[in-house]
Amino acid sequence: MTIQTEPLKSVSDIERTTLMTFLPGRIASMLGGRRWRRLAPLAVLVVLCILITIANPNFIELRNLVRLANSAAVPLTLAMGLTFIILMGSIDLSVEGTLSVAAMVVVLLAANDSNGNDYGWWAVLAAVAAGTIMGLISGLVQTMLRIPSFMATLGMWFIGLGLSVYMLGGSAIRLNDASIRDLALHRFLGLPLAVWVAIGAFALAAIIQYYTRLGRHILAIGGDEDVTKLSGVNVTRVRIAAFALAGFFFGIAGVLAAAQLGQSHAVIGDGRLFAAVTAVVVGGTALTGGEGGVVNTLIGVLIVTVLANGMILLGISPYIQQTVQGLMIIAAVALSLDRVRLKIVK
Amino acid sequence: MKDSNGLVFSGRVSRRTLMVGAAAGAVTLAMPNILRAADKPTLVTSIRSLSNPYHAVWKTGAEAYAKWAGLEHVTLVSEGNSEKGIADIKAMLAKTNGNMVLNSDPNDTPDARPIVEACAKAGAYVVTQWNKPADLHPKDFNPNYVSHIEFDGIASGKTIAEILFKTMGGKGGIVALGGLISTTAAIERKKGLDAALAANPDIKLLDFQVANWKSTEAFDLMGNLLTRFGDDIKGIWAANDDMGSGALEALRAENLAGKVPIVGVDGIKTAVDAVRTGEFACTVTSDPFWQGGMGLAIGYNAKIGKFDPAKEPPEHREFYGKAVLISHDNVEEYYKTNVESKPEIDWNDLWGRVTGAIRA
Repeated sequence: MTIQTEPLKSVSDIERTTLMTFLPGRIASMLGGRRWRRLAPLAVLVVLCILITIANPNFIELRNLVRLANSAAVPLTLAMGLTFIILMGSIDLSVEGTLSVAAMVVVLLAANDSNGNDYGWWAVLAAVAAGTIMGLISGLVQTMLRIPSFMATLGMWFIGLGLSVYMLGGSAIRLNDASIRDLALHRFLGLPLAVWVAIGAFALAAIIQYYTRLGRHILAIGGDEDVTKLSGVNVTRVRIAAFALAGFFFGIAGVLAAAQLGQSHAVIGDGRLFAAVTAVVVGGTALTGGEGGVVNTLIGVLIVTVLANGMILLGISPYIQQTVQGLMIIAAVALSLDRVRLKIVK
Repeated sequence: MKDSNGLVFSGRVSRRTLMVGAAAGAVTLAMPNILRAADKPTLVTSIRSLSNPYHAVWKTGAEAYAKWAGLEHVTLVSEGNSEKGIADIKAMLAKTNGNMVLNSDPNDTPDARPIVEACAKAGAYVVTQWNKPADLHPKDFNPNYVSHIEFDGIASGKTIAEILFKTMGGKGGIVALGGLISTTAAIERKKGLDAALAANPDIKLLDFQVANWKSTEAFDLMGNLLTRFGDDIKGIWAANDDMGSGALEALRAENLAGKVPIVGVDGIKTAVDAVRTGEFACTVTSDPFWQGGMGLAIGYNAKIGKFDPAKEPPEHREFYGKAVLISHDNVEEYYKTNVESKPEIDWNDLWGRVTGAIRA
């Protein structure tokens, strides 16, 4: 160990500002400002992939890329729904509750080892409907009772969880319907069906965001709700629709999760909320609303998944993996936030 | 109707009548107390949650014992909230006036002390399981703190590792999935694995990763581990069955289910099914059905004076219970007696599963 013998110089104001310019955000603004910043998440993803490949060439094996896609399927579908809510400047905490309700519905209605039901794909429809209804209720509670989305969806989270625990009787129930299990086990063009479903969910979300009125209105509300209201948009209706839409995506994710694990228990959603929010934020969608979108989220999900996969490939100790993930969140947000426009940091 | 005179004097009471009435009243007032003292105690189960298979079975066992003994039974659920767990127990003590027997799986290690102290103060009898601080001993709270039961995580981790190695033919690489880093069970089971690895130099631990007890995390983790080690993985050691079943589904997605043996701990139904199909090599269970029933049985027998806790040897006050191994050899029999029907347990055999005193 060496000891620093040189006395540390005090940093004057001028020097401090020059230090500041070396912060990533400043570098970004020097390199052409907002356009570069928009590409920051993509750059992070590319750099990550290159670094991991150098360290362990196994990373770009086709088998690994398929696995990456497979483990990104559920988070991607969830994050699609969550993106719309965060774009509006709200938050949906009911991810885990809604997902576990959907997984519970699909398992209990399809062939399983606890009751005699065997409704096949009707069970999947029912599960997606259940998710949509949960979202719809969140939206109604929020707009009609004027409860902030944070609290309304927190309530829905626990209602959903309680419902699952009650219906499943606290045990894990197996999914025996082969055609639903095929979502995870059957492959089309080398990719599991679950991945194609997730890609479909992404396409649908992209169409809604870029080509429908609902998508524009959601973005407008996130940008400035008052102005949107004054321009004649029915904000209440858009909010309810957005939450129902999020519930719809959570429902699909619940079906995929049950298909992948081949079973459902009440805690099937554990930890998914954090993963989904992280993916959305890392992708460059601002929590304040009105900035970002589903393409950002796709990149965000890939960053989170690649990082988790990469840390295992590099043999990083499990004890520090969480720390690395935390650092990554801060770094990604620092890169993508437009601090020039952000007058106040709350 | 009497005449008016009678009506006027009807309120009058002679001294004798008054005395007789007062005596009768006093007797009546005293009755509930006498009756209450003769009342049977309430059996109380305090567990973390009903949303996991393990505690759901625990509750079934507790109800089975209560039915067998013909007693009232109440289940308290802390939902992972220590304050709620302790407050519910205190409320129960007040309600039953201390006439109760508690079998508790404290949410967290420090919770055991306030729980035991409250029970001792109220005169209730208590048995704790899994979690208690090292300096809290049943012998310091005679007779109310009857016993503390744990299952030796080191032994479980070692047993399943040895069976895994045997299934693999004694050589090759394994990956290990650990539980939540900070929990005693996770630390102990890993120690058991390390001990087994030390005794088997031909087995190589490729990687030890943490999946926080969850099948969902284990599923993703296993996919990543397959990428890193591919066909070098000849076996999977999981610190609990839920993670083991997540790993199994990751194998299934790669058409490897049944080709790479898995071992776990807990004996959940999914794992027992997997042992039957040969996808799991074995699992070990602490038998939550027995834990839920026998914890109450030990406390109740102490309360009614069947034995005096103070006179019991140390290995009856703080002991490791005997874990049940479910492997290829006995899985069918276990399935018949434990999964298809309710297990038959001799509730009078209080000390039948004692394997020794807990290591200090």
